[in-house]
Amino acid sequence: MSPAATAVEMNDLDTNGSVLGRGTRVRGRIQGDGDLRVEGTVEGNVTVSGELLIDEGAEIQGNVDAAVVTIGGVITGDVASRGGIVVRASAKVTGNMGSPEVTLEEGAEFSGRIEADFELPTELLDGSSGAR
Amino acid sequence: MAGTIIGSGMTIEGEITSDEEVVVVGTVRGKLHVDAAVTVETGAVVEADVAAASLSIGGTMTGNASASDRVDLLTGGRLVGDVKAARLTIADGASFKGNVDMDV
Repeated sequence: MSPAATAVEMNDLDTNGSVLGRGTRVRGRIQGDGDLRVEGTVEGNVTVSGELLIDEGAEIQGNVDAAVVTIGGVITGDVASRGGIVVRASAKVTGNMGSPEVTLEEGAEFSGRIEADFELPTELLDGSSGAR
Repeated sequence: MAGTIIGSGMTIEGEITSDEEVVVVGTVRGKLHVDAAVTVETGAVVEADVAAASLSIGGTMTGNASASDRVDLLTGGRLVGDVKAARLTIADGASFKGNVDMDV
């Protein structure tokens, strides 16, 4: 268990979300509301409105989209998030990541592109558009 | 800790295989192959053929059910499809349409 997968996070998921356990394999499309914790294997796209946690030992082949994505396992595919993406030290990501906020921990393997669309602070915007 | 929970807002379309318990509260379309217990909770919708060690249906299921141990159709549960299991219970208030094969 990665130390960063906080107890709070796990409790949230246990009470009102979905879990795909370690011994579970899904081939197909997953979509819906709420949080999802993946410990097993998914071949297909995953779209959830809440948090998506890809646990250490989990594997996803497909594109994922969620409000917040935390990756501790292996993912081959694009990752999109409105809220933020955290790539843990144990993770291996092959694909592009699009989110306003992307965190890569030391030790994580990543090959792809990061598209971080965020709004520049006003002072920087002023600076770039100003008469300099 | 229950192995796999498919929550109420969640839909899975495709094939699910598992060697641990699966609880469906949301929607599953496709195939479900589990070497353990499967529970279809009240409100859940399963449009899939299900093979499991045991199967308990409190929600709505359309598809064939095959269990190595038993199938329980609970009050309020609805099953349209054939059942193949050594043991089957159908509770008062459950709906069922299909054939039963108890492997005798």
